Amino acid sequence: MPRAGKNAAIAAALLGIAIGAELFLARAVPDSSIRQLLMLAAVNILIALSLNVINGMAGQFSIGHAGFVGVGAYASAVVMSNLHHRLPGDITFARSFLMVPPSMIAGGVLAAGFGLLVGLPSLRLRGDYLAIVTLGFAEIFRLLIATAAAQETGLAGLLAKLGGQNGYAGPNDLGVPQYAGPFWVLGTVFLVTILCFRLKFSGWGRALRALREDEIAAAAVGVDPTRYKVTSFVLAAFGAGIAGSLLSTMRDGSPITQPDSFNFQASFDAITMVILGGSGSISGAILGGLFVTFTIKLIELLQAMESVQAFKASHEWLDLNALRMVIYAGVLIAVMILRPEGVFGERELGQRRGKVR
Amino acid sequence: MSALVISHVSKTFGGLRAVSDVSFTVPDKSIYGVIGPNGAGKTTVFNLVTGVYPIDKGGSIRLYDMDLVGKKPAQIAVSGIARTFQNIRLFAKLSVLENVLVACETTRKTGLGSALLRTAGFFDDEAALTKRALDLLAVFELDKAADEDATSLSYGNQRRLEIARAMMLNPKLLLLDEPAAGMNYGEAEGLKEQIRWLREQFDITVVLVEHNMQVVMGVCERIHVLDHGETIAEGTPDEIKKDPKVLAAYLGEEASEETRTPEDISAPPGTHEGGAA
Repeated sequence: MPRAGKNAAIAAALLGIAIGAELFLARAVPDSSIRQLLMLAAVNILIALSLNVINGMAGQFSIGHAGFVGVGAYASAVVMSNLHHRLPGDITFARSFLMVPPSMIAGGVLAAGFGLLVGLPSLRLRGDYLAIVTLGFAEIFRLLIATAAAQETGLAGLLAKLGGQNGYAGPNDLGVPQYAGPFWVLGTVFLVTILCFRLKFSGWGRALRALREDEIAAAAVGVDPTRYKVTSFVLAAFGAGIAGSLLSTMRDGSPITQPDSFNFQASFDAITMVILGGSGSISGAILGGLFVTFTIKLIELLQAMESVQAFKASHEWLDLNALRMVIYAGVLIAVMILRPEGVFGERELGQRRGKVR
Repeated sequence: MSALVISHVSKTFGGLRAVSDVSFTVPDKSIYGVIGPNGAGKTTVFNLVTGVYPIDKGGSIRLYDMDLVGKKPAQIAVSGIARTFQNIRLFAKLSVLENVLVACETTRKTGLGSALLRTAGFFDDEAALTKRALDLLAVFELDKAADEDATSLSYGNQRRLEIARAMMLNPKLLLLDEPAAGMNYGEAEGLKEQIRWLREQFDITVVLVEHNMQVVMGVCERIHVLDHGETIAEGTPDEIKKDPKVLAAYLGEEASEETRTPEDISAPPGTHEGGAA
């Protein structure tokens, strides 16, 4: 089949799946907490895909990805709830086309702006030092929002409108309207996955991988490290902003955007997704996103079980949340021993060994 | 016109003067050698020319009529200076073909946007560049291994691939950093032929840093000798062989023309402590 025809067929199929999910997901999955989990899995895939650009492809170790997700989430929540406030109406699929694109773009662009802000000074840093800067950014962002007091003026007063530690619930505290249904979430995952593949398997991705392997040699053949690193930082931040945007506005999600959703734990989860699946592998990022989401839920379900609750009541010292870290650690150690390069390494699902074209 | 003019170039690392007021001129389309004992500053000169380190104030480096001072390594590479490294630096997880393709990223006509949209221009570009890369690999007899991991090649082929990658830049000047490292007598003889062939095939100027006197004396038209970051001699191979300062640097202060024959200079160089490699 010719390339254009094949692409059109794939696009039509993916669009069909996304619309189908929008129309039938609520009927197929009556339990809203399961629906929330599915949506969350999609958002986590987006977070992993975007972090993979900077950590996997460019080889820059960023551990503050949740900060960019948070910027996108807040920007998007503000834009969407204000739009909804100005143009009152029901939350329908048709109206989501009016609400979702502007808020998603706002989230992505603002996060990309912060990506540039963090990426530029970070160029002189590598390894641990870069990691500290990215972590610092994420924590500063979270704490600025969490600790802003309403009586303050200027920037602090403005930030206080984002609700502080209690979270942001729109201009009149009715909650952020949840326009982003399965169509938007799934559609974005499809689109971003395709773009990631195109990025990786292009000259640009090739130069980025060369830069990761040997910066001096790459510069000696004309690949400008500055340009490529900053661009990958901005792209990764943009992707994280989009993911955050969907996180704060998705149907069946939380109507309140809270600063603690973007703490170090969230950044750490994102790194787990990327490393577990294989640094640089798009298939790996998707697998990692799914794994992390469902492991958390599995542990929550285990915690809710009566026998576990009874056990917990008789053993007060037991911290079940810590169990998640034990499972993480166990899986990560096992992967590091069995497959140090992650499940997929740098390869993709169905890609033959040695063929990276 | 001269290919490369280096004048009054110095480089200080902290308190260490690695290169001190070095000047030389590389004639167009010549093969030029930079030699000196370990730590003489030869590789530092290469790193200054390619912009890895900035030079100290006061000096100048020109490629034909282009000023290179203040340019970044990537800009200098695009301006026409390609290099290889003392320790082979290939892109480890990339295939042989990809290693070469990275070097023509800057000649791409279409940008990141068209890669993401997969426009017709992107495919045309990719096809044209791949063809150019494969043709170049064929010249270096590496086309059969195009899809293999670069680091899976034999040592000799890795050196060849590094040169092929450098030539993908279409350089005017090629800097070879110790190309004969690890080669036996027969291989070094072959290397001399290859360097001459490179100049004819690609119509370029070649500058090499080398320890192996068999190669340097056999292939270079002019030679520049450094010791402790300073110029001690400059001239044709025959002049260099007879220069008392060079003999002293290589063989110790006692050496003189009466007691040493020119062949002695081919012996392994003496090791001076200190100075940057």
